[in-house]
Amino acid sequence: MKNQRLSNAAGATDALAMHRPARIVRLRTMLHVGIKMMFHDKLKFAGTLFGVFFAVVLANQQLGVFLGLLSKNTMFIDNAGADLWIVPASTQTLQPGKPVAMTALYEARTTPGVAWAEPLLFGGGSVSLPSGGSEQVTIVGTKAPYWHGGPWNIVAGSVDVLRNPDVMIFEDSERDKLGGLNLGSVREVNGYRTIVGGFTWGLLPFAPSYSFAEYDYARVLLGTPSDQTSFVLVGVAPGNKPDSVAAAIQARTPDYLVLSTHEFHNRVLRYLLVSTGIGATTAMSTAFGLIVGLVIVSLSMFSAVVDNIREFGTLKAIGCRNGDLALLLLVQSTFYGLLGSLIGLTQISGIAGFMRSPKLALVLPWQTYASTPLVMVILCGLASLLALSRIRKLEPGMVFR
Amino acid sequence: MKNTNERPRVVDVNGLSKVYGSGAIAFEALKEVDFHADAGEFVMISGPSGSGKTTLLSILGCVLRPTAGHVIIFGHDVSTTRENELPSLRLSLIGFVFQGFNLIASLSASENIALVLRLRGWAPKEAQGEAAKLLAEVGIAEKADSLPRDLSGGQRQRVAIARALAGHPSLLLADEPTANLDGQTGLQVTELLKDLARIHGSTVVVVTHDPRIHNLADRIVHLEDGQIRKESL
Repeated sequence: MKNQRLSNAAGATDALAMHRPARIVRLRTMLHVGIKMMFHDKLKFAGTLFGVFFAVVLANQQLGVFLGLLSKNTMFIDNAGADLWIVPASTQTLQPGKPVAMTALYEARTTPGVAWAEPLLFGGGSVSLPSGGSEQVTIVGTKAPYWHGGPWNIVAGSVDVLRNPDVMIFEDSERDKLGGLNLGSVREVNGYRTIVGGFTWGLLPFAPSYSFAEYDYARVLLGTPSDQTSFVLVGVAPGNKPDSVAAAIQARTPDYLVLSTHEFHNRVLRYLLVSTGIGATTAMSTAFGLIVGLVIVSLSMFSAVVDNIREFGTLKAIGCRNGDLALLLLVQSTFYGLLGSLIGLTQISGIAGFMRSPKLALVLPWQTYASTPLVMVILCGLASLLALSRIRKLEPGMVFR
Repeated sequence: MKNTNERPRVVDVNGLSKVYGSGAIAFEALKEVDFHADAGEFVMISGPSGSGKTTLLSILGCVLRPTAGHVIIFGHDVSTTRENELPSLRLSLIGFVFQGFNLIASLSASENIALVLRLRGWAPKEAQGEAAKLLAEVGIAEKADSLPRDLSGGQRQRVAIARALAGHPSLLLADEPTANLDGQTGLQVTELLKDLARIHGSTVVVVTHDPRIHNLADRIVHLEDGQIRKESL
């Protein structure tokens, strides 16, 4: 025994070096302790998790509505089936404005590399209701037989009904609003007797719903002269680069803009984000959701540390470093971030499914699902800094008081 | 400092002072204290409340910095050791038994013990095995999976002793280990602490004002007003 004591004393210096376990061992230890501590106080655990859940749901709800709104404004461009668009020079969004001369269509059709070019008419329409009054629609005129520019998502009837005289296809979700439309219903559109030939689903922009007519009938409804149109859609022949073809058409039609579908899409988005307040408003409300979550998580974690301050003091006294305890908090915040994201995303997916309607849709692309856990882990990590600052200041000597 | 009974000197304190606060509110808790403990010794520090017992123990435990003087533990002058080296020093050399047990409430009895071993770099399986062995040594092997809240005061203090002994630290520091226990249990726990410390070859310094356990000490140091008034064997 005496020898053991002697060796204890003599080996003390070496012991210092020996008892510095690798980071992975400390990480595993703190992982174990952190998770145990977290689940021990179930109420606090639930409160913190709720903070993350709340932030995930609120932020994604705001973001989903915003993306849904953007998608409403670009859905026509994305679904028109064109490679290139010839639009008036001042065009910022897909709305009827200054007309495009039909000469631009002919220039496009004769440009090398162009497979097809078709006119597209856009304009406001007023549908008279049986009960009196009227409702607004956006009249879209596309050319038979290829129907470049729509309609798509047809849920009743077929596109070929538009070949019949005085026929239009309306939006299914607007049937009640337009006076209880059915196939074969007759309405007055811009003063012309029009027969309902079919319905689309979901073609409801952030404006009056799209209502499709054959090009020539749309021209009559909108009173557009035969030498004018709203836009020209262009398809590029296989083996040609859209950029080169666009440049060639642009050279022939200097009074207009020739944009690829991608460029037009981005142009609309840029306009909505920069020139309207919608981007800033959504950013603010999304940030608000995240900040509220940050505050809840931060206060919950801080309060968990304060409630267990003696335990943290004990851990320090028995040899844990600030780094170990930071690791413990990091483990907890990562766990909160991941679990809260999982529950929150499940919930918001359910909400999105429940809300799925042409009028209000939450658009949650895969990038949202992928980035939410990452953002929440970072957010929870930041939230744990307040608790960490308390631990850093904690004197291990407090355990003796 | 040379020791008289030829046992290696484990703790050697010279001219130790500790002042809390400054200026008009300064309070001198320890005044040029000289203290030592030799290998395998079971030393008790007694004295009335406010005499500086806990301050001395805190400094010996490297959780509090002295204002002046030298504290040498196993040849390390811990009064000059860098702050970031103290946790390793505590982990490798010192075991603590606290008045309020200070077990981690969310960990079972064996996990509380294994935690210290894991921090010292033991593999999980070996740490659990050693924890079970230590729990058997303190007589509560069957409580390995119990949480602290499910243990009596005496059982908690036994777990705390087992935790303090985990990894065979050379120095055990106990702060009023019987304060929260009834007389009989307090005596049993202190006897257990002494026996196990002897088996594990650890030096023990116990702060207490419980006279019922004084007869277990190899030496008793009486502190009053931050100064050692007398030592008795």
